[in-house]
Amino acid sequence: MGTLISSLNIALQSMEANQEALSTTTNNIANANTPGYTDQSVSLVESPPVEYGGMLFGDGVSVSQITSQRDSLLQTRLDQETQQQSSYNSYLGTMQQVQTLFNETTGNGLQTSLTSFFNSLQQLSTSPTDLSLRQGVLTAAQNLAQTFNSTSSNLSQLQESADQTVTQTVSQINTLTSQIASLNVQIASATGGSQNANTLLDQRDQAIEQLSGLIDVSQSDAGGGAVTLTTSNGTALVVGNHSVPLTTETNQATGFQDIYSQESDITSGITSGSLAGALQARDQSIPSILSSLDSLASALGNSMNTINEAGTDLNGNPGQAFFTLPSSGTVGAAATISVALTNPSQIAGSLNGTTGDNSNINAMLALQNQTIVNGQTPLDAYSNLVDQVGNDVSTATSENTSSQAMVTQLQNQISSVSGVDINQQSVNLIQYERAYQAAAQVSAVIDSLTASAIDLGQAQSVT
Amino acid sequence: MSTTFNPNILPDLLLNLQTSQQNAENAAEEISTGRAVNAPGDNPAAVAALVLNDAQTSEDAQFQTNIGDLQSKLQVGNSVMSDAAQLMTSAISLGTEGATGTTTASERQTIAAQVTSLQQQMLSLANTTYQGTYIFSGTNVTTPAFTADASSPSGVDYNGNSASTSVEISQGQSIQTNLPGNQVFLNSSGNVFGALNDLANALNSGTGIAAATTEVQNAFNQINSQAGFYGNALNQLQSTESYLSQETVNLSSQQNSLIGANLTQAATNLSQDEMDEQASESATAQIIQLPNVLDYIE
Repeated sequence: MGTLISSLNIALQSMEANQEALSTTTNNIANANTPGYTDQSVSLVESPPVEYGGMLFGDGVSVSQITSQRDSLLQTRLDQETQQQSSYNSYLGTMQQVQTLFNETTGNGLQTSLTSFFNSLQQLSTSPTDLSLRQGVLTAAQNLAQTFNSTSSNLSQLQESADQTVTQTVSQINTLTSQIASLNVQIASATGGSQNANTLLDQRDQAIEQLSGLIDVSQSDAGGGAVTLTTSNGTALVVGNHSVPLTTETNQATGFQDIYSQESDITSGITSGSLAGALQARDQSIPSILSSLDSLASALGNSMNTINEAGTDLNGNPGQAFFTLPSSGTVGAAATISVALTNPSQIAGSLNGTTGDNSNINAMLALQNQTIVNGQTPLDAYSNLVDQVGNDVSTATSENTSSQAMVTQLQNQISSVSGVDINQQSVNLIQYERAYQAAAQVSAVIDSLTASAIDLGQAQSVT
Repeated sequence: MSTTFNPNILPDLLLNLQTSQQNAENAAEEISTGRAVNAPGDNPAAVAALVLNDAQTSEDAQFQTNIGDLQSKLQVGNSVMSDAAQLMTSAISLGTEGATGTTTASERQTIAAQVTSLQQQMLSLANTTYQGTYIFSGTNVTTPAFTADASSPSGVDYNGNSASTSVEISQGQSIQTNLPGNQVFLNSSGNVFGALNDLANALNSGTGIAAATTEVQNAFNQINSQAGFYGNALNQLQSTESYLSQETVNLSSQQNSLIGANLTQAATNLSQDEMDEQASESATAQIIQLPNVLDYIE
């Protein structure tokens, strides 16, 4: 049978347990808007009963543990979707700038220069000896060459800025992986000592989510509360207490940064996260656009050269190369193409040697409809290039939108599980407060009973 | 806690608001720019087609300018032909007059002098220039087509060549833009300069005047048939020009269907989106003002 004093202890335990519950509730309310915070709840358990005279007497309440409401499966799915979404987002960041270079709806791009060049030849064909029309052809050719140059140089700049993003991202990845490795250590030691690791787990989830924005991460449980992080093709990022830093090295061929982990090149194995988006723009999309542009500049320039060299200029001299191009191959053609002719009379418009002959100008003009660029006419080739750029952006935009919706939905789901509901907490607050007040009242009652017991059979001496 | 209830609704509400706002902005942009497609990424195929459409429109405008130039040049050629025909008519009357038996030798000398003057006028016509180039020199346009040469049977030397030039006037359609002078004035089926020279010589000598007049008649017929070239070419330019005008209209309407705004649709969308946006806003405002239990705890 319990004594009055043991009842007093039970009331004390109750006050302590409810105080702990109140403090957890307060903490939940305080962190209601903290990103990554997981709602915590107190598990109250009955203290082991005491046996007395063959009967079991309850011995009060205690707090067994404080648990976080986390759903690690949802969190993993969010991490994966975040990787996809960040990849599209970072890719789009670069490609939306690329598409402004080819935005023909506002007159940006090569179409105007290309057409003006052919139009100037068309006009010259009506009056081949007219010096002002000849000058018009040279000017249009210079504009065309400059448009090739500036488009190519703008593309290279965007490529370089994607390259800088790669370097910065690698350094952010290293900061996060080293944080996660040290959180692994702290969590292992906290759970090993049966301490509450909820705050640390929140921090680690948050760090892994941030890391997922940067690179493809897959996580596995390493035991003892620690997680192992690798990229999707198995490159280690965090193993137990250690993070494996990524490094960058300049690729001698491209001049851009390759990503290394422990001496091996993992650049091509990175499939998602903003790093993958930057790499895709830098290593695939922009080079492909640059190469199409080079083919166009080179095919057009070389064909013009061949034709001009076959004719006779206004002074009766054999024609020279019209454009200056790289001596071999197409690489760099768009970046470096320039007009070689310095005088309008050098346009070799005549085939029979007389100044009034326009047959060679007509031959130049005919290039417009000849399939000189990889089986396409110059304008068709350019139109396809615009289509390619547009498709790159449009595909990534729709993928990004659906991925964004998925991320929002997963965040909502996680929030349903782990978010702090202020109403729920307020009700808890009332519940624990009342329980605490009741236990305090019980102490007062027992105190009064104890006083009565002490004063039993005599004039009141204790109140 | 229920797994379907999400206590953090603010991010969701914000996303809804942003979506309605973005839709309204897109519709407003479509109305203000008059374009439904504003970048290649909005509709890649339409912008790719726009490239070809714009190029064709610009090329057609150039064709039309060229047609204007060519019309001036060919009209000059055409009027030379009619002037030359008039000179030949005068020469035929002079030849007929000289052939009558009553004409005295001195009268014939006077008529011959008139024919010589016609010869000189014809030479000047044959050396007509357009914008500084000789139109009857073939492609040798910087050299006068003909120079007088008394030792030549026709009285002139041809300094040009037999080449002609052609110019594209619409896609895939070219037109010849000149007649070489030897074809017009020294044609074997009617030699203009030769006939005039023979007539002057016949009048001076008093023999073979009728034969020389017939020769001039043949040359006259020949000039008229050459004039047909200019007439045909001018007609062709005219019809190509109206074809190009029509094509420009078609291209412009095609361009509008590629990237142009559907204003009725966009305006409807805009008002719909604005209503959505307002509804979202007022719903959001109400939701965030909902009291929670904390408000009632004393």
